[in-house]
Amino acid sequence: MDRFKLRKAEPKDVPDLLRLIKELAKYEDMEDQVILTEKDLLEDGFGDHPFYHCLVAEDPSEQSPVVIGFAMYYFTYDPWIGKLLYLEDFFVMKEYRGFGIGSEILKLLSHMAVKSRCSSMHFIVAEGNQASIEFYKRRGAADLSLEEGWRLFKIDKSSLLKMSSAEE
Amino acid sequence: MHFKVRAAAKEDCKEISRMIMELAVYENMADQVKTSHEDLKRDGFSPNPFYECLIAEVPDEHKTKDGHCLAGRSTCGHVSVSGQRQPGYTVVGYALYFYTYSTWKGRSVYMEDLYVMPDFRGKGIGTGLMAKVAQVGVEKQCVRLQLSVLEWNKPSLDFYIAKGAEDLTAKEGWHFLRFHGQTLDTLAKEAPKD
Repeated sequence: MDRFKLRKAEPKDVPDLLRLIKELAKYEDMEDQVILTEKDLLEDGFGDHPFYHCLVAEDPSEQSPVVIGFAMYYFTYDPWIGKLLYLEDFFVMKEYRGFGIGSEILKLLSHMAVKSRCSSMHFIVAEGNQASIEFYKRRGAADLSLEEGWRLFKIDKSSLLKMSSAEE
Repeated sequence: MHFKVRAAAKEDCKEISRMIMELAVYENMADQVKTSHEDLKRDGFSPNPFYECLIAEVPDEHKTKDGHCLAGRSTCGHVSVSGQRQPGYTVVGYALYFYTYSTWKGRSVYMEDLYVMPDFRGKGIGTGLMAKVAQVGVEKQCVRLQLSVLEWNKPSLDFYIAKGAEDLTAKEGWHFLRFHGQTLDTLAKEAPKD
């Protein structure tokens, strides 16, 4: 792990971020669902109103450093307990797994959550992704869907448009 | 029934706090509520807000039979110091939401809480609140709205499904996980030093 470096993402990392986002989507068998472009990532993460924050893991041993992992997160709000850190994406390239990089990223995120007065770090995992579920549970994560019965829902843009025009 | 939906002001935080507790009681989780109206004020109305909130109000002539908004508290028609709350209106519901990000699809809006007091349900107020959240989301170029519902909460499940909501836990197997309290602190203590 000492060989690798963890740092905040910068605008220049956007092409690598998109590359890794697509690799993670492929791992989850959902590669065709990534419609985000580099331009979106740049504007949405490094513009006037950032929608996300990002950490990257770098391998500095190559001729020029290579980004080999990332974690994307943002702050959300639970009216019962206040600020939360929400972990949206978390990925280390296959050939770099097993070195403790993922563990170090998670610890750094937890430290950042505690420092910014968050009482909890939340995220979602697909129940088919046993490797990830075991990774998180080994470190103390609780499954709220199993323990409390929470189900995640989405409403797509066409339904949103329908709802907001019915409002007039 | 005539009602209005408007953006919450910091003077509404006491009312929002009251309704947050009512919603938690409905979900059988009242002991989990730790935030005060002061926390809500700091977290929602500072230069870097962590959430946005909409309020639903009805004119005072529609307030509950006992003449109060809830449990003897007379907040009807109250005008705050800044004058932002309209005289003659009573707060009966709220929607609390924030912006999230999907690495696949981009900007999203997450509706964390939607609540209408029991006496005021069935009158389109919940639909009105949610439609306003949808409108705000579309204006901010969000591509979808997400929310979560407890599996036993059939009235809410029916309400959202009727509006086009899809259950991603059932369809794609997504589960909510968290590191909370002690487990978060334990991880944090082992973080790499700067």
